[in-house]
Amino acid sequence: MAQFYPLTVTDIRRDTRDAVVVTLAPPADAAEAFRFIQGQYLTFRRRFDGEEMRRSYSICAGIDDGVLRVGVKRVDGGWFSTFVNEELKVGDTLEAMAPMGNFHVPLKPDAARRYLGFAGGSGITPMISLIRTIMAREPKSSFTLVYGNRSTSAIMFREELEDLKNLHLGRLNIVHILESEAGEIDLFSGRLDREKCDALFSRWIDVKGADLAFICGPEPMMLAVADALKAHGLPETAIKFELFSSPRTGRAKPKTEGAAAKSGGACAATIVIDGAAREVEVAAAGQSVLEAALANAIDAPYACKAGVCSTCRAKLVEGEVDMEANYALEDYEVERGYILTCQSYPRTAKIIVDYDQ
Amino acid sequence: MSDDGDILGYLARGGKLSAPDNAPPRYRAELMRLMASFVDSELAGAAGFADCINLGPGVKERIAAARIVLEKLDHAERVLKIMGAFGANVARYQNVHPWAARIGRSDDIGVTRRAGDMRLNVFHYPIMGWTDSVVLNVLMGTATVIQLSDYAVMSYQPLAEAFQAILPREQRHAELGREGLDAIGARGPAAQKEIGDSVDYWFPKVAATFGGANSPRTELLRRFGVRRRTNADLLDEWRGRISVALGSSMRVWGGRA
Repeated sequence: MAQFYPLTVTDIRRDTRDAVVVTLAPPADAAEAFRFIQGQYLTFRRRFDGEEMRRSYSICAGIDDGVLRVGVKRVDGGWFSTFVNEELKVGDTLEAMAPMGNFHVPLKPDAARRYLGFAGGSGITPMISLIRTIMAREPKSSFTLVYGNRSTSAIMFREELEDLKNLHLGRLNIVHILESEAGEIDLFSGRLDREKCDALFSRWIDVKGADLAFICGPEPMMLAVADALKAHGLPETAIKFELFSSPRTGRAKPKTEGAAAKSGGACAATIVIDGAAREVEVAAAGQSVLEAALANAIDAPYACKAGVCSTCRAKLVEGEVDMEANYALEDYEVERGYILTCQSYPRTAKIIVDYDQ
Repeated sequence: MSDDGDILGYLARGGKLSAPDNAPPRYRAELMRLMASFVDSELAGAAGFADCINLGPGVKERIAAARIVLEKLDHAERVLKIMGAFGANVARYQNVHPWAARIGRSDDIGVTRRAGDMRLNVFHYPIMGWTDSVVLNVLMGTATVIQLSDYAVMSYQPLAEAFQAILPREQRHAELGREGLDAIGARGPAAQKEIGDSVDYWFPKVAATFGGANSPRTELLRRFGVRRRTNADLLDEWRGRISVALGSSMRVWGGRA
């Protein structure tokens, strides 16, 4: 089960109008747990309106910097990012899990590698960690960062990147692409799309000579950059993706039809999967929700059938169940209505179970 | 902000994920199934081959068998760790099913999975002796290499990378099998007949691990960017490679199954 630690906020620096950089200190006895690999992220939890929510943010520090910090850009309607930008203050505590994530490659101190990085908006945060670490730990390697933003004022870590570039002249190159500002050179204005990449790669950046590329930003940008990199000769296995840790939006409750309660102990269960709702009967005598779905030729996901692997996880939208064993779901997931369907037996005459949530 | 639809579109167009957070529920579920099937197969396969170590005719063969067992367990552990990041209880999972259990040699369980044990069904059947274990290793080892190659560029990058690291070792396991098979085949007609009988037993069971030609699950996995090639395509490659391997150790075998 995931363990959370209380981190103390030791500094909050406003980076742009919509973003802050928060420095955090883990408790003394958990310092080891918070040693991170470049490009990793922290997952925070906090209660909002009585419900536990979790959000992940990339660590934006090098592994030798001796500091733990995250950059948080305010998202419209984003409860956690708004809270951090508007209410959080020095001395407060934030609960976070130990660092996780796979947006990195093992360091090779003697290697002379050529890295490419592509960031869109707050996708810069893990890049900061990668750049700072690689500059320090691979002295023969170089890094070219292409960083797309709406405008100059939206550029996160602008000064820090400038300082880094000056510190590592010749090893760190930074290309800013700005959407709403026509610069002197057309190449550096507009969106970071396929066309822009093709132009950059034919005139400015040597893709064939690159060893690895890191991409972090919104989906369309990541796809465009990856396609262009592949078209210009970079092997697919040399491209690392980090999709924004963006909260998924809520969805309307699925429509259900003919969901009348049945008598005689059996339960009428509406099973939602792949956007379709079907009603099945769960036998009163010891049939699990999963077994009832499978018995009705519904392709419900499962693996261990022992409450251990959590493959059969679904959300109980209506009604109640007894969960016989649960070795996988955490308390907060159970609170939010998640069940292991292989271990769930209806307690009410009618339930709605959604595998799509 | 993204919703599941955006992410599914992103995956269908070749986008990749690097952490569990953004995996839509159905994608997560299919990935978990796939990982469970791999982990269970490696654990059950290792348990089966472990009993064969002492059947090896010499120390060299026993080392090869022991190495295969060790590395299959290691592969299971690597992928189980990734399942753990998605919420699986890693400690309990390791012993959730009796991995060494086998059904009768002549039972036929088709392709239906058994009670939550997600091992490929071929690993439910018992191995009868050294030659039998080498034949299964050649047939299934070659299948594993072909199947893993398709997964090694999948949209969930941590798993793709795990499979990339596992692949050369599985390749070596299949090679060890082929070397063992050549050694057995060189003993003469009686040994070759023994190989032939084992091939007849295992060939259809291993072929079945590739899945049906029109599998809706494979199509779903392809839309998710988890799979690329079709089941039929992979099966064809396997048949080709196997007929070469068997031709070399039996000289006469032309594909009886």
